[in-house]
Amino acid sequence: MAYRAEPPDGGWGWMVVLSAFFQSALVFGVLRSFGVFFVEFVAAFEEPAARVSWIASIGIAVQQFGSPVGSVLSTKFGPRPVVMTGGILAALGMLLASFATSLTHLYLSIGLLSGSGWALTFTPTLACLSRYFSRRRSLATGLALTGVGLSSFAFAPLFQWLLNHYAWRGALLLVSALSLHLVACGALLRPLSLAEDPVVGGPGAQITSLLCHGPFLRYTIAITLINTGYFIPYVHLVAHLRDLGWDPLPAAFLLSVAAISDLVGRVASGWLGDAVPGPVARLLMLWTTLTGVILALYPVAEVPTGLVALTVAYGFTSGALTPVAFSVLPELVGTGKIYCGLGLVQMVESIGGLLGAPLSGKGNRISRWAMAAVFYHAGGGGEGN
Amino acid sequence: MRALQGLRGPRAPSLPLLLLCFLAAVRRSLEDGLSTAAPFTSLPVQEEMMTEYSNLSLESHNLSVTAAPITSLPVEEEMMTKAAPITSLPVQEEMKTKAVPIISLPVQEEMTTKYSNLTLESHSISMTAMPMKENNKGNQICVDRGIMLQRNVTLERPNMPAEKNITLERPSNVELTCQFTPSGNLNAVNVTWKKGDKLLEDNYLVNATGSILYTQYRVAVINSKQMGSYSCFFGEKKQQRGTFNLKVPEINGKNKPLITYVGDTVVLICKCQDCLPLNWTWYSGNGSVQVPIGVPVNDKYVISGKHANETRLKITQLSEDDQGTYWCHAIFELGESEGHVELVVLSYLVPLKAFCAIAAEVVLLVAIILLFEMYTQKKKKPSDDGKEIEQGEQLKLDDSNGIENSGPRHRKNESVGQ
Repeated sequence: MAYRAEPPDGGWGWMVVLSAFFQSALVFGVLRSFGVFFVEFVAAFEEPAARVSWIASIGIAVQQFGSPVGSVLSTKFGPRPVVMTGGILAALGMLLASFATSLTHLYLSIGLLSGSGWALTFTPTLACLSRYFSRRRSLATGLALTGVGLSSFAFAPLFQWLLNHYAWRGALLLVSALSLHLVACGALLRPLSLAEDPVVGGPGAQITSLLCHGPFLRYTIAITLINTGYFIPYVHLVAHLRDLGWDPLPAAFLLSVAAISDLVGRVASGWLGDAVPGPVARLLMLWTTLTGVILALYPVAEVPTGLVALTVAYGFTSGALTPVAFSVLPELVGTGKIYCGLGLVQMVESIGGLLGAPLSGKGNRISRWAMAAVFYHAGGGGEGN
Repeated sequence: MRALQGLRGPRAPSLPLLLLCFLAAVRRSLEDGLSTAAPFTSLPVQEEMMTEYSNLSLESHNLSVTAAPITSLPVEEEMMTKAAPITSLPVQEEMKTKAVPIISLPVQEEMTTKYSNLTLESHSISMTAMPMKENNKGNQICVDRGIMLQRNVTLERPNMPAEKNITLERPSNVELTCQFTPSGNLNAVNVTWKKGDKLLEDNYLVNATGSILYTQYRVAVINSKQMGSYSCFFGEKKQQRGTFNLKVPEINGKNKPLITYVGDTVVLICKCQDCLPLNWTWYSGNGSVQVPIGVPVNDKYVISGKHANETRLKITQLSEDDQGTYWCHAIFELGESEGHVELVVLSYLVPLKAFCAIAAEVVLLVAIILLFEMYTQKKKKPSDDGKEIEQGEQLKLDDSNGIENSGPRHRKNESVGQ
């Protein structure tokens, strides 16, 4: 068995980028556009919207908490079989959901089953991507993550069209068929053997060594803090705009603008991360600090032009920090331990994500932005080490 | 007299309002027994009407048509020289000699006594043939003994007839007022009212104040025969007319077709905004034929409704025959209104076929990818060097075991020759 000394930085790696692109689209794009289904569920099951939105929350929670499982399995078996199994699970969950007769049924099938399917796909794919690239890692990650943004644009109208033509049962059946493409994406993940693999040992050994790794722990906490602040602006931006007297349509449009600048930010930062020499962690610090500053400015800006400018800047910087955040990890822990490392980070950061939104809901308009800014700065500071 | 002074200046938007308030004041004064020459000669009747219908809701609708901005001083001068306030206009004189107001008295009397338990509604439209200099929009409220006369003034473009839609649910007395500002002589204008195409002979009044011509039509709407389109015509020109459309409230069904599957249960809902129909009925339509839905048919159809302003038709055990348009009729005292819901029943095979097609495509993709990999590995195998990814044997093992179930990979155990 030949072990590569260096990641290939190209070649088949670009197919892995393609695979990661579609996977982030099929996992997060579907999750983000699922709101279209919620309206139908509320009418079909006659349940309040809050209870219906639990479906997505359970799905996201299972996806993030289950990440270590995905990473352990892919360390042992390689990413390909794990991701393909995950794809089948996700599709199965949606398939069973199309026969649902109650909301609990949906919680279990979409939330639990599809969620665990997603857990087995996303983390191994990103980790595999990090293994295939070293010099162009940030760019590759940035490109792959654009799948999330683009698919949100495409899937929301697509889901609405499906609902109009097949009602929610038929639409879920077809979304299940769509999720089957995760299996095809998994097939693209050719396993890669790197020189470090025999050295790091099995998954158990990797996890224990990671947990004792100082920089890794600091990184995890920093990412958790950033993640806590990450969702706050998205959750509260529209409400903030409405408070200032904006109409619903321009406010929603501004969110789309933020999504576009997020997309641009991801690619730009990915390219930048590779072009600039030196540790990538410095860039992460730069972006998080900028985001924190922008968020702190939000309560001050009242003029529409100022708000638009701030939102564009926020979208850019928050999108910019995502690929860099993922790129820092391989530098920290090495490509050998990347699967387990990423899995652990995802699990811990999900706590931040879960707590962030409800916590911010308690404060008033200004304190929310301040809280988010604080989280970003803290994370950035932690990254500085 | 004060009202007259108001006429000297540029046309004030509150002039008709002043007139109405004046009317109210005059009525009040009449009550006290003062004999003032009133603009409307049928005032005593109106007085009676007010007392009769004091427990009713008053709806005022006004239409005002203006041919030219009012700046013609001579007319005002004319008015000033007359003795009586606002009443001594040629038109008014003519009116006094006309039998119309007098003839309408007994009818109105009858109307008042017969329909004393009905609500009184007044609606008004203002029309201008020329663009107004001042802003003539807005609601102006004039209160007379606790009954509100609300006037909605609508500014229209030139040469466009003004129209107003009035939604009536319960029987009421409706008062429709048109006001018109002619460019020429007020006397030359012939005022007529029509219901649909039929010319109306009585129940209306004409008055002129300053250079504005007012006409008011009263009708007691008790059943569907009185519903329809009422138009006031000033002269013969088409644009100098206002139309009031009396309609029952509209019912909202659903614009998008409802998609369901065979064997499912569906609930069709019809509702209307602020109305309380007497009764609801459902019909299923095949083409243009409407078949009423009787309730006891194996519990298949269940008609219910949580609130009075909505109705629900629950259909169980759907089959493809149930496809089509369903009509819900709301029955009011003043007529019927209907909404429709379209139902589409699909069989499970429809999305299932699409699913199978996509699943087959995925299997094909996976097969292509793996076969391609195997192929490239085979090509590389004879000429491998240290830098190549070497998975050939492992892959062959995978493929023979099946795509999904690749066994545990033990990289350390692989022994591929270099």
